[in-house]
Amino acid sequence: MSEAVVQNPQTPVVVARSGVLKRLAKNPLAILAFLLLLGTIAASFLAPVLATHDPNYADLQMVLAGPSAEHILGTDSLGRDVFSRLLFASQVTLAAAALAAVVAIAIGVPAGITAGYFGGVFDGSANWVTNMLMSLPGIIVLLAVRAATGPSVWISMLVFGVLLAPSFYRLTRTAVKSVRNELYVDAARVSGLSDVRIMSRHIFSVVRAPIIIQTANVAGVAIAIQSGLEFLGLGDPLVPTWGVMLSDAFRNVYLTPLLMLWPALAIAITTVCLAILGNALRDSLEDGQKAPRARKRAASAVPVASPAEVSTDTAVNAVSDHLLDVVDLRIGYPQEGGATTTVVDGVSLHVDRGEVLGIVGESGSGKSQTAFAVLGLLPETAEILGGSVTIGTTRTVTPGSRAVSQARIAALRGKGIAYIPQEPMSNLDPAFTIGHQLVRPMVKVLGISKAAAKARALELLATVGIVNPQRTFEAYPHEISGGMAQRVLIAGAVSCEPDLLIADEPTTALDVTVQAEVLDLLRDLQKRLGMGMIIVTHNFGVVSDICDRVVVMKDGRLVEGGDVRTILRAPQHEYTRQLLDSTLEGKTPMSMLTTGTKA
Amino acid sequence: MLIFLLRRLGAGILLLFVITTITYTLLYFSSDGIAQNILGEFATPEQIALKQAELGLDQPLATRYLDWLGGAVTGDLGRSWFNSEPVVSALLNRLPVSLTIVIGALLISAVLAALLGVAAAIKRGWIDRAVQLLSLAGDALPSFVVAIVLVTSLAIQAKIFPATGFVPFADNPALWIMSIALPITALVFQLVAQAAQQFRSAIIDVRRRDFVRTLRSRGLSEREVVFKHVLRSAAPAALTILSLQFVGLLGGSVIIEQIFALPGVGPLAVLSTTQGDIPVVMGVVVYTVIMVILVNLVVDLVNGWLNPKVRVS
Amino acid sequence: MKLRSRAALAAMLTAGALVLTGCGAGGGPAGGGDTAGPTGGTLSIGSLVDVTSFDPAASHVGHYMQYYQPVYDTLILREPNGDLSPMLATDWEYDDTQTELTLTLRDDVTFTDGTKFDAAAVKANIDHFKVANGPQASTAASIEGVRVEDADTAIIDLSAPDPGILLYLAASAGFMGSPAALETEGIISTPVGSGPYVLDTAATVTGATYTYTKNPDYWNPDLQKFDKIEVKPMQDVTARVNALVSGQINAALLDAKTAPQGTGAGLNEITSPVDWQGLFFFDRAGAQSEPLGDVRVRQAINYAIDRQTLLDSLLLGNGEVTSQITGKASAGYVEDLDDYYDFDPKKAKSLLADAGYPDGFDLTLPVNSADVIINAAIVQQLADVGINATQVVIPSTDYRNEIFTGKYSLGYYGIFQGDPWVAINHHIGPNAAFNPLKYEDETSAALIARVQAGDDDAAKELTEYITEEAWFAPFYRVNQLYFFDDKITVENQLQQAVPSIYNYAPAQ
Repeated sequence: MSEAVVQNPQTPVVVARSGVLKRLAKNPLAILAFLLLLGTIAASFLAPVLATHDPNYADLQMVLAGPSAEHILGTDSLGRDVFSRLLFASQVTLAAAALAAVVAIAIGVPAGITAGYFGGVFDGSANWVTNMLMSLPGIIVLLAVRAATGPSVWISMLVFGVLLAPSFYRLTRTAVKSVRNELYVDAARVSGLSDVRIMSRHIFSVVRAPIIIQTANVAGVAIAIQSGLEFLGLGDPLVPTWGVMLSDAFRNVYLTPLLMLWPALAIAITTVCLAILGNALRDSLEDGQKAPRARKRAASAVPVASPAEVSTDTAVNAVSDHLLDVVDLRIGYPQEGGATTTVVDGVSLHVDRGEVLGIVGESGSGKSQTAFAVLGLLPETAEILGGSVTIGTTRTVTPGSRAVSQARIAALRGKGIAYIPQEPMSNLDPAFTIGHQLVRPMVKVLGISKAAAKARALELLATVGIVNPQRTFEAYPHEISGGMAQRVLIAGAVSCEPDLLIADEPTTALDVTVQAEVLDLLRDLQKRLGMGMIIVTHNFGVVSDICDRVVVMKDGRLVEGGDVRTILRAPQHEYTRQLLDSTLEGKTPMSMLTTGTKA
Repeated sequence: MLIFLLRRLGAGILLLFVITTITYTLLYFSSDGIAQNILGEFATPEQIALKQAELGLDQPLATRYLDWLGGAVTGDLGRSWFNSEPVVSALLNRLPVSLTIVIGALLISAVLAALLGVAAAIKRGWIDRAVQLLSLAGDALPSFVVAIVLVTSLAIQAKIFPATGFVPFADNPALWIMSIALPITALVFQLVAQAAQQFRSAIIDVRRRDFVRTLRSRGLSEREVVFKHVLRSAAPAALTILSLQFVGLLGGSVIIEQIFALPGVGPLAVLSTTQGDIPVVMGVVVYTVIMVILVNLVVDLVNGWLNPKVRVS
Repeated sequence: MKLRSRAALAAMLTAGALVLTGCGAGGGPAGGGDTAGPTGGTLSIGSLVDVTSFDPAASHVGHYMQYYQPVYDTLILREPNGDLSPMLATDWEYDDTQTELTLTLRDDVTFTDGTKFDAAAVKANIDHFKVANGPQASTAASIEGVRVEDADTAIIDLSAPDPGILLYLAASAGFMGSPAALETEGIISTPVGSGPYVLDTAATVTGATYTYTKNPDYWNPDLQKFDKIEVKPMQDVTARVNALVSGQINAALLDAKTAPQGTGAGLNEITSPVDWQGLFFFDRAGAQSEPLGDVRVRQAINYAIDRQTLLDSLLLGNGEVTSQITGKASAGYVEDLDDYYDFDPKKAKSLLADAGYPDGFDLTLPVNSADVIINAAIVQQLADVGINATQVVIPSTDYRNEIFTGKYSLGYYGIFQGDPWVAINHHIGPNAAFNPLKYEDETSAALIARVQAGDDDAAKELTEYITEEAWFAPFYRVNQLYFFDDKITVENQLQQAVPSIYNYAPAQ
């Protein structure tokens, strides 16, 4: 992973070909950049035809003249036509950049393939050489080379190509390594085909896209460096290039500032277009990292329900005496192309103080989504399609609003409503100590001092059964076990004594022995604090252990709900029965697990 | 921690050794006409021969390099062939200016990139597009092109900033800022680009992580979650990019210092390589490599501080 | 660095009128005794060069003089108008053979380290100068040795009459440092002299600022016009013009392109022609390039160059076209020769045809990478008369060396307009470095011998001969453009790239 991070975010390796070009064609900026680049390259080839004057002809009577009918862009300090020089200069500048790219590819790609495929000593030493090359500032090296060999744009770009080879080496190596790992298994199955044959057939298609992207970047950098050297006056002065023209113009900047504009524009346009093209290529290869375009309207981070709806609804439904009241909630995710995937389709449930509700279902049933909606922690891409959510007297989701009201739910979080996540280790910030993550919310939400919060945190840690609270308090998340982490999360959730606690599969990621302890803990806390609790789970064992009531969800819908004992003993719905039957506990040994085929 | 530092140091020294060897060898082939250049046009052949002996130009490559190396490890980088100034003091004199520009650009870029990345990642919409476009332009445009546009428009034409020269902080803080504003801006423009992109991507990634959701569930404000927690986890990726870019930054600063006539290491590098003043060129190379090693080390340390999990490894 | 000999050398004059143009030319007191006018304050000068060593034997002339003059006195002082006056030597006299030069020295001068200045000090300095391998070492080539007659009398023995020796003693060879310090390494960074100022090492940063403060024990307080002098190396002309315009420095040399900034900012200007620029024909014998051996071909090239247009377009008119290499203030100057060759491509072509090249010929032209523009213009104008020149670009630091190897038949250069003998030694005589193919003929040899003997008419005849024989193709004399602000007055130093330190004074 480190390599991918170190480079520009790398593209996934295998990708459908037609999709790339199609997506590229949809990007107007990329098209513009491509056309501009094409135009520049074409102009450079057509320089002899397009030029209005001989680029080297010095008309000494017309030195440093401004743009005119005869000289479209004016003349330079020797009276040479700027436009014509610009055209011919583009030939050299572009060709030199191409040279650097070619050299970089010619060295980097084979080296990358060899390192990726064979690994071992070559890989190690090539890595070291790569690191060394990447530590060298290009300009200094080129200056030193120039001191040794004299000013030659071709030698410079050749050397620079060597300096650029590492980037191609790295991405080729990464690609080859990933393909090799995949194919190795396949190759073992297919008899008679050598690794090399398979590799060479697949490597090309896999490595092609990243190389093209990198080439675009590299070409831009080469132009920049080359122009920079020439600007310093260190280029070959007899050969017109953009950098040489820029240098000449800067020397006359007091007399004719406009002269600088033309070569500067040429350099700027070309380098920027190359970068745009490179980026566009990379974006069209990436799998939907961007928010879909249909989401423009919901783009703001703090979506709020319209004021009109808010007032009427609180008036109408102010008298709900449930702690949590979810009515006909529907949640969906808009896709590219306009369709919406509905994940929660008309769910209604309620929780009262002191009661524990279980939400049961398989993965994909929408139970976690419902929980998140209550907490106001749905992903940005989610959209509330309908329904309402009321916590206490606050309506956090009103019919017609497209998202949870962040303003309202924010006020509730911590004190009104809290959350215990499923996976303990990934739910603690690795950069801060346990203690910090416990103390800070308490200070903010409860308004107490740090010292008081610390004392409270230590107490809580003891309460949740942590043997050495002080040590855990000072530890970082990666220094404690999964079970301890889960207890910490529980402690954090109850630290501000919330009214409603939502636990999302709190025992799923734990060892079996720890599961029971954690459940005991939860039950204990719930009784003591008199919280309303929702347990989201797929495990009926948990339900029977701790819940008062239970609802069953399937494919985003509520299929059955009611008192736990009733449901467990006499499930009404087919699906509920299937779920109950498929648990291993209490099952007759050696018999079929399910009563019928699952829908 | 100590072992980590020692290992880094060791790797750095090895790097230094390899790079100086390569550079010295390259320069060896360019030292033919030096004696004449130093002495001027009235030099007689006898004088030239004397000078060559004095500078050791008649020695073979290995001897010369080992001589230089021997001095270098004791901190003596020799004297300039042209003005006899000790290379170390020449570098030290010029370091403050170059460091001001380079470190200033780095710090400002890091902060700006973080802010822009946050804005782009969270607000999305037009800010996101604007940041992406600006990043593209900044990344692509060579810093010296930006510099000369700035100089021409804001200094030469509008006369708001000075076009050349460096005013030491001790002399006049206000003028000091004016004299480094344009050079740093030109460098920052390019640095911020990539770093902002990295921050943006990393922030988007980190925000999707579980612990961010959990922290929000605790009641922490969005601002605190983003700026304290998300940024911390997103920073390493961006800082790593910055440290990679630092190499390019050093190169760009050479040209920038020439444009603005800042008495930093840049003009020394250009002059010494043009003249073939090998001791000075070697000194510049040593300085550059050391800077790269140091910055990489600092970034690693900062990343370690930001993310304790990284510290252990 | 664009340092060329023209700016690095001072042309010596023995007599001549001073040509000063420009508004507000400072009429300040010349060095050497005038006590009128205010004193005090700080003088800040921007310099084109950076001093490399404070050893007086390492001194160079031209721009470098401003680094050494504050701390070292010379034996003889050169006035702004070129006259020689006493300084450390109060009197000098040749014997009949012109090979013994007797110097009478001041007896009241002490170096800043307490050592007394006397004849022994003169001997120590000149001995050191001869062997120290400095850039001006060859100016002491004719000095065999120095004899100490008594404390205040030194006799210099010459191997042959040397018309330039007095001028040299007013420049690098004449800088007197403390003998005690001369042999130490410290002299490189810390000068020890008897001059009007001392180097303030604490306030000096190598490569950025050299600060000189008043020498309290100086024997000639009239020469100390300021309390403090700062010389700042600023090789980049943009940096200089900005520093000037913003008041960071009081005076500096600008060029044709930046001069308008100076005038626009209301600064004062001194212009003086120091160098001539043009083509050198090294291969007059035609050994490498046969056509160049024919005088008609060389003359044709002279006719092919449009001097005035070049001057106007490249130097914005800052100079004067000329066909001779000698300056107006030189003894060898012949007025009529200034426009000996006019711009006449037709004549050039007919001369070429006469010489047997009706369709022109091919030529290889070395090009100094710092002079690409002018050479491109030359190539163009040669092409217009049928001469096809192929350019070979040489890095500017190597250009001179390459010329000296003699592998090129011609080349573009800028050289000081010299005093006859100095010019002969530098670029005309058979052993001159700038005559790498060692060309000479009977006529020129005879004339040179007469000049050495001190015959001024011979100098004029030599100029005529060289011009008619088209040994060179001079284009124009270039004006040095020196700018300074209203806080000071400055007097031009004849034939020196920049004014001597003694020529600056605070304004009224």
